[in-house]
Amino acid sequence: MTNLPDPIRPSPSVTVHFCSPERRYGPLESIEVRYAVDLPPGQVARAVERSIVWYTEGKGEEDIGVHLFERLTDRATAETGSFGGRLPASPLSYEGVIVKIRWCVRVRLFFDAGRDFVSEHVFDLGHVPAAAFPFRS
Amino acid sequence: MRLPRFFSKKRGHRRTGSEVWGSVGEALFHAALVVAGVAFGGLLITGIAVPEWRINHDFLESRGRVVGRGLARHVLDSAAAAEPLWQASIRLRYEAGAEIVEAWAFDGPREAARARALERLDRTRLGDEISCWYDPTRPAYVVLSRGYNWWMWALTLLLPGALLAFGGAGLSRSLGRWGRSEERQAAAGRRPRDPLADGPASSHGHPGVPSCEDLVNSPGTILRYRLPIESPESWNLLGLGLFAALWNAVVVLLAINAGLDLLGGRIDWLLLAVLVPFIVVGIAGVVAFARSLVLATAVGTTQLEISAHPLRPGGTYEALLAQGGSGAFRSLEMSLELEEQATFRQGTDTRTERMVVWKSPLAAWQGLQLAPGTRFEARATIHLPATAMHSFASEHNAVHWRIVIRGRPDRWPAFTRTFPVIVFPQAVGEPAA
Repeated sequence: MTNLPDPIRPSPSVTVHFCSPERRYGPLESIEVRYAVDLPPGQVARAVERSIVWYTEGKGEEDIGVHLFERLTDRATAETGSFGGRLPASPLSYEGVIVKIRWCVRVRLFFDAGRDFVSEHVFDLGHVPAAAFPFRS
Repeated sequence: MRLPRFFSKKRGHRRTGSEVWGSVGEALFHAALVVAGVAFGGLLITGIAVPEWRINHDFLESRGRVVGRGLARHVLDSAAAAEPLWQASIRLRYEAGAEIVEAWAFDGPREAARARALERLDRTRLGDEISCWYDPTRPAYVVLSRGYNWWMWALTLLLPGALLAFGGAGLSRSLGRWGRSEERQAAAGRRPRDPLADGPASSHGHPGVPSCEDLVNSPGTILRYRLPIESPESWNLLGLGLFAALWNAVVVLLAINAGLDLLGGRIDWLLLAVLVPFIVVGIAGVVAFARSLVLATAVGTTQLEISAHPLRPGGTYEALLAQGGSGAFRSLEMSLELEEQATFRQGTDTRTERMVVWKSPLAAWQGLQLAPGTRFEARATIHLPATAMHSFASEHNAVHWRIVIRGRPDRWPAFTRTFPVIVFPQAVGEPAA
């Protein structure tokens, strides 16, 4: 799947606006996201998937959990939209040393011939400070 | 048309590989298993199952007169040096429709011992009249018995059935994932992208936070809960014990073999050469196990009780340490630690790395003297920072909180004992202490 800019075709661009300008939310708070897709001339998205997910980064294999997922196959509504809901109590965003937890909004566009493009926009859930290494007491 | 890339996005210190090529490879592998299962099953069915089924359903019964007897000698082409197999054979004259046919039929199974085949042949005499069944499409093909060989059918179906089941399940899984984003797969609860489904059980209402049910089912004697100990030493001890037992069982078998040879007046030098290093490793295993057992039991048990569980950031809790045993301790320390754990694949190995990223000393005692039959007891206060990370566990990653006791006895090596605790996220609306 293509999630990096295609060197030949011009890439679409996705603009996302969070209801919290700092992109920081507390557990169980509501999140509302508006997005707009700018497609290069001649390209039509046949489906769009919008989701709110967390994933792990760091030394271990990547784990991912989906909090909200919607798939739209109506071409007319694929280019702009808004979605959201109540965030869960956990897991909170965490900047560890070998384990990191990130929350993000993803807008994934599907084109003909099986090509897709994903735009990822990170936000913070909770206020956990980054772990320092070497550790401090 | 553009081919998918061989490498996908780089995350952290690694490149994750191409999911498309991975899926194609996986689908091809499972498809190959399905094809092998179909081909193998087809061969076995047409070679074994269909002929047996035809004998029981299509063959016609007749009465035949024995006009000749003999032993068939079977030699496998691929095993020229192997002993031949023998099978009793009867020549029958029987009516097949309007014509009289004369043909050989096998009587009974193939035997390695010629005498047993002869014994079976002697049961039938020339001129006897016996029942037989012939193939209506090929009257010269005649058999003396009918029925099903069920274990042969089971064996016939076992291997192709396993190939078809494994390959078919894998193929349908690969096809089910094809063209689906990782978010869609995770949303549908499909593997491999749902880490909590395969990871430790989460606490209700707190996704990703491990359940603490196993940590609150043991009441304390003074404080509310007694925490279970997480002891890697116990697993090492068990592993060493199993290794020593299994290794020495092999040594005993080899030694018995060598002893029987010696009693028979033979000396198998190769066996003796193998036996000597085996005995050395066996003795080393027993010594290592005995040493670990002494170290694990000599210091005395460590117990830890806590006033509440699960813990919350900003909360203050009381802990009670009880150390058993006898003798002098140069020091005994209690600390609260946050450990990160990451599991990753390196080649064909799965490795787990752990790192303590935060540590807070809770209490320390020096120059303790423990008397037999009594135990050292002391209380300590645990204060969790208001912005502490909660406990977290997914399939490959984890963040663990634990209380660690480190002791340095006078006469024994230092020891570390770990008591896991679960930290929940701060309750919503609750001010950080």
